[in-house]
Amino acid sequence: MKESARRETGKAVNEALAIAKNCRHYAMCKIDFLGGGVCASGLEKHFVSFYPEGRMDLYAALMENAIPVTEKCLEIAESCNLCGCCDYQCYFVNEMRPTKVMQALKEHLRAYVKGGGNVVQAKDDAILGAMKKIVGADWASNDPAIRITYHHDLCPHVTFKMPEYVVLPNSTEEISAIIKLLNRNKIPYCVRGNGASSHGLVFSEGAVLDLNRMKAMDFDEKNWSVKVGPGTAAFDLQLEARKRGYRVHTAEPAALVCANIMTSGLLSTFSTAYGISADNYIDAEFVAGDGSTFRLNDIAAPNLFSFRNSLSEQETIAICVSVSVKLHPVTADEGGVLVPFASLDQALDFARECATRHIGLAIGILGGEFVSSFIAPTKRLAAEAKDVFAKKLGMPYLVLLIGDAYALRSVREMGHPLIDQKLFKTLFQGLPALASAKWLDLLDEVSDVEPFSYLRLGQFAELAETAIAPSPALQARDIDPDLRPFFEEVYSRPEMSDLVWLNTFRIQSSRYCREKPCVAFVFYLPIDNALIGAIQDGLRAVAEKHGLKSEFGFITPIDSGKRCVWEYDYYFDHNDPAEIARVRQAAREAGDLLDDYSKKTGTIRQVRYVVNQGCCRKENLLYS
Amino acid sequence: MFNNEHPVIALTGATGFLGSHLMARLLQGGSRLIVLGRSTKEETLPARISKLLRWFGMNAPADRLETVEIDFSQPKIGIPEATYNKLCSRTDQVIHCASDTNFSERKRERVFAANVQALSGILEFAAHGRAKAFHYISTAYVAGINHAVCRETLPAATAFVNVYEESKAKAEAVIASFCEKNSLPLKIIRPSIVFGDSRTGRSLKFNALYFPIKTVHYIRDIYLNDIRNNGGKKSRQSGIFVDAEGYLHLPLRVYLPQKGSINLIPVDYFVDATHRIIAGDAPGGIFHLTNNSAPTMATLAAYNQEFMKIRGVEIIYGRAGSDAGRNPVEELFDRFIEPYRPYLSDNRIFDRANTDRATGHMQPPEFTDEIFKKCMDYAVGVDWGGSIFAKEAGRN
Repeated sequence: MKESARRETGKAVNEALAIAKNCRHYAMCKIDFLGGGVCASGLEKHFVSFYPEGRMDLYAALMENAIPVTEKCLEIAESCNLCGCCDYQCYFVNEMRPTKVMQALKEHLRAYVKGGGNVVQAKDDAILGAMKKIVGADWASNDPAIRITYHHDLCPHVTFKMPEYVVLPNSTEEISAIIKLLNRNKIPYCVRGNGASSHGLVFSEGAVLDLNRMKAMDFDEKNWSVKVGPGTAAFDLQLEARKRGYRVHTAEPAALVCANIMTSGLLSTFSTAYGISADNYIDAEFVAGDGSTFRLNDIAAPNLFSFRNSLSEQETIAICVSVSVKLHPVTADEGGVLVPFASLDQALDFARECATRHIGLAIGILGGEFVSSFIAPTKRLAAEAKDVFAKKLGMPYLVLLIGDAYALRSVREMGHPLIDQKLFKTLFQGLPALASAKWLDLLDEVSDVEPFSYLRLGQFAELAETAIAPSPALQARDIDPDLRPFFEEVYSRPEMSDLVWLNTFRIQSSRYCREKPCVAFVFYLPIDNALIGAIQDGLRAVAEKHGLKSEFGFITPIDSGKRCVWEYDYYFDHNDPAEIARVRQAAREAGDLLDDYSKKTGTIRQVRYVVNQGCCRKENLLYS
Repeated sequence: MFNNEHPVIALTGATGFLGSHLMARLLQGGSRLIVLGRSTKEETLPARISKLLRWFGMNAPADRLETVEIDFSQPKIGIPEATYNKLCSRTDQVIHCASDTNFSERKRERVFAANVQALSGILEFAAHGRAKAFHYISTAYVAGINHAVCRETLPAATAFVNVYEESKAKAEAVIASFCEKNSLPLKIIRPSIVFGDSRTGRSLKFNALYFPIKTVHYIRDIYLNDIRNNGGKKSRQSGIFVDAEGYLHLPLRVYLPQKGSINLIPVDYFVDATHRIIAGDAPGGIFHLTNNSAPTMATLAAYNQEFMKIRGVEIIYGRAGSDAGRNPVEELFDRFIEPYRPYLSDNRIFDRANTDRATGHMQPPEFTDEIFKKCMDYAVGVDWGGSIFAKEAGRN
């Protein structure tokens, strides 16, 4: 090989490895949120390794000699047809191109085989054989190429574990039989909804049960519920519910509904109306630790409605195999607005008032980091947008409110200038033109008399539209040229600028760690401005001490405004050991700070204490 | 340490529009200055002053210019006692130019803190060292609402257009009372609306006169861009088009409450007149720096139409009707000029007897099309202030 060709190859390898090591493990490549398709081999094989996320981990592991080349490696690499649909998905979320990794994986393994490299064949043992008898030969494996993709995530706090086995049962009976088998052989295990992990909770040196195949969705419309299997992703469920004219309360689009409910309890901006924890479901079915089954509504069922405010009892006591989730009605007049505020205090007052008066279905105070990350198609634009909203427009905080026509009328009557759907679409599709829009300087001057008073002008949206000339083409302007036509089409869809759809399906919230992953502190507390201000100062000071970027995420009022849920984030580079060490220390100190406030006030509940108690009654969690 | 025969003047507000011009003029005249001011997050006070002086084409003269960091909210304006005593004893005169010029009612507390509460510190500074004179840069608009003839006397008004006027009127009363009690000669200088240099067009600030012009400029560019690059559909909907002579037809009806003028003086007149008043023999008094031949908005609109190659701007006296029928440009412009509206059709007559005596009847120049063009050319050239120092750095 000539030197120049060798250099090019080396560059491609480095680029592919950099992409592979930056996978955020959000599993967005497992749902068809853009309508561009999902990796066909993943849908067929279900193991994480057959999805782009898994192939990225596999490539990184091979390049770092963490595992040998096995037969499964070759199968996984060749199962990718380089269709490119993961590029659309991953670019939307993280501005990354996984296809380069898929290509590099193929080339690496082909060269390895061509060079006479040894290909290892994983051997079945008795346990694996027994597993295969239960779930079928295709659905259990001890091949390192499978196991490696279940052995880590980006959480900086945990020691990762490589499982001996990965098994994909497809029914309650199969789960029960697998559990009994594992118990008999004293093999530890953990359970995953779809193979993904993002918070360091699901690692085992024994077996990983991946429930990705169990994607049932049985609607019972007369009882306003849908029974979902543990492999059902929020996006897919929401899509089906929407087709029938309902909404379900879900979290992140790729997150599993059962897993969400079981681990931290469901929460979102819709928690204002739909609640948290046990508010979200009607019944659930479980396989207990001994392999027996029970329903939550059984009179003798374990009391999963209780809540213990401690870290000590967080072992999962049962595997959730289905949840009957509530269906919520949707009216045709739903809409969304963004109400800007110059300070968090003002935003809190407004959000509290709306929640207390039961105005709106979804309310979220969003900080500049979230708003800019969500609406910008690229990192560079996100940085510009953050600057525009905070500095030029003086809007460091925006309160998102989704509601019906009555709710939106009430918000207008409350007298706050606001960004309505039309203006949002203009700003959203015109984002690339905003940073250089000189006329924005005028808004600052006029806002001196009354903040954001220009938003009251009946024709401001019209003028902004003239000035910015928003369009899907403009919105996609900074995207890689070969992906641009696809994204122009995506951004031209009405739902892609509809605040209601965007907040129901939440596909943009996956962008919040595009720049860097984060450690999220999520906690419930009263909407007490002074307390929130003091905690925010404390969390920020800890982050600054350790040289970390930290940002306000969101606050959503819940339970008639008596409490709220708040996310505050510490960002870190997961490929930088020094930064990982700093974020670990900072997270410990921030946890101590929150513990102190919890003790002092008696009203704060941290979601890290809720883990595996997500089924609990909201009242037990918040007030007891 | 200063060492020559010129008086030592302590100056506040030297980083502002009027203060910086005064600073430059006083230094050019040989004065020795103690600039009392504050650093910002980005720049130290000496760096700010040096940058401003460079804009004036000057270097900071080390033997005649001293900068002192102060804080009006602190005892002895934040200066350590020993230094404070020395500075006071060396100060012959004080010019208090620092001011918060915000009009916004919601900034009332901040404006009063800066314009009234902060006075005690600088007044005590003047009295402590037995300064020979105190000069206060006020505004002609302390006259308040409903004063057809505004005298060069302390204000009696109780109603004001905005919090800025109110705070300046209150400040005059506080200062006058203090100076009388402490036998401190006082001169109050009351400029009307100050714009850039009538000879060069240069300016450091682009509010007041500039703001409505800047608004039209940006709006014009929005529609020109729409017509040239986006097919002009939006423009056509609002009746906006480029005519056969290349002018943008921009229908813009500007409603003003009554006929009147906008009282403008150029900053070169302000500094020359102020310099004469300060250096003059008069023991004290109040001085209106105003323009007896102020232009109307119709005149300014005509100047601007030619300057920007637009047509369709119409000045209408009376109240605007409902928003119905108004195009986006009119609605936006109307909201933008709201804080300035009372100054755009002003009927007040400003008595200038003291000023004429003290300045030898020096008058501000008539606001001609030529001056307008010179000033707006400069403003556009420096992106309405956005690139003012970058441009100066490039020039130097």
